[in-house]
Amino acid sequence: MVSVRLVYGTKIKSVQILGDFFLHPEETLPKIERALVGTSPRAKREEISGKIARVLAMNNAELIGVTPDAIADTIMMAVKK
Amino acid sequence: MKWRVIPLEVHDAYTNMSTDEAILEHVRDGKSGPTIRFYRWKPSAVSIGRFQSMEKEVNIARCRELGVDYIRRITGGGAVYHDFDGEITYSIIAPESHFPHGIRESYAFICGWVIAGLGALGIEAAFAPINDIVVRGRKISGNAQTRREGVLLQHGTVLYSIDVKKMFSLLNVSAEKISDKMIKSVEERVTSVSEYSGASIEETYEALLRGFTKGKEYEEGRLSSDEVGRASELAKKVYATEAWNFSR
Repeated sequence: MVSVRLVYGTKIKSVQILGDFFLHPEETLPKIERALVGTSPRAKREEISGKIARVLAMNNAELIGVTPDAIADTIMMAVKK
Repeated sequence: MKWRVIPLEVHDAYTNMSTDEAILEHVRDGKSGPTIRFYRWKPSAVSIGRFQSMEKEVNIARCRELGVDYIRRITGGGAVYHDFDGEITYSIIAPESHFPHGIRESYAFICGWVIAGLGALGIEAAFAPINDIVVRGRKISGNAQTRREGVLLQHGTVLYSIDVKKMFSLLNVSAEKISDKMIKSVEERVTSVSEYSGASIEETYEALLRGFTKGKEYEEGRLSSDEVGRASELAKKVYATEAWNFSR
């Protein structure tokens, strides 16, 4: 299960990704959250998940129990609400 | 390589979690050897995963009412209710070189020790990737791992008995889920030692100890005074603070 706390206007101002997933190393999550700041809340799934995947790759990080696509979908659903 | 085994202890949530981290730091610095520890939680406590929201997951008012602690772990995963009478927790803290490199493989490796312990009670358990252990498809143990600067920490639970109604009352579970039907559904997916064995919780611990130490060179040990001091410091400065527990 993943959920997000999102603050946005024309751009994403802040995002917190919450859930019961694993991320090794754990310190990568704030880096992912920072990387998403400034993204258009109307961005396509590929753009959001691509940013997440890049941070994971740069930090040699492993995400278990959730995928970048699922996080992107959750952000997109939060914007739609 | 000799393992240090710290026999079953009872602590509050803050001390339990800070002790794991203090040992991790000491193993990292080469001041302590690879360690296996067992513990219970008194008062009973709810722990949440590193990335969960305390307010979202835990019924804080109900915890306060029942004197149940709540704490954020350094490991990921979900919320767990650690009932004093219903569970034994273990921690494994050792250099990563002691385990298979991959995270999934290392879960399987360490969970094998839990399975061996349950086997000593005559309970036939199996590893259920990524991080669960099941008996006839029903979860009996959940496990969570972190790695820091070359050291692996895995802690996990072995359910001795379960009270789903109480567990649900402490977690923010929707009213729909608290229905008798949903409680039954969870009871069908989760099991405990007491369903398959007449062993006491102490006998369960002895069996786990046998499973964890089988084939290993080990000695019974205790925490160093430095580890106790550091655990006490971490408990006060991190684990008992709202800044940590409500950081998400």
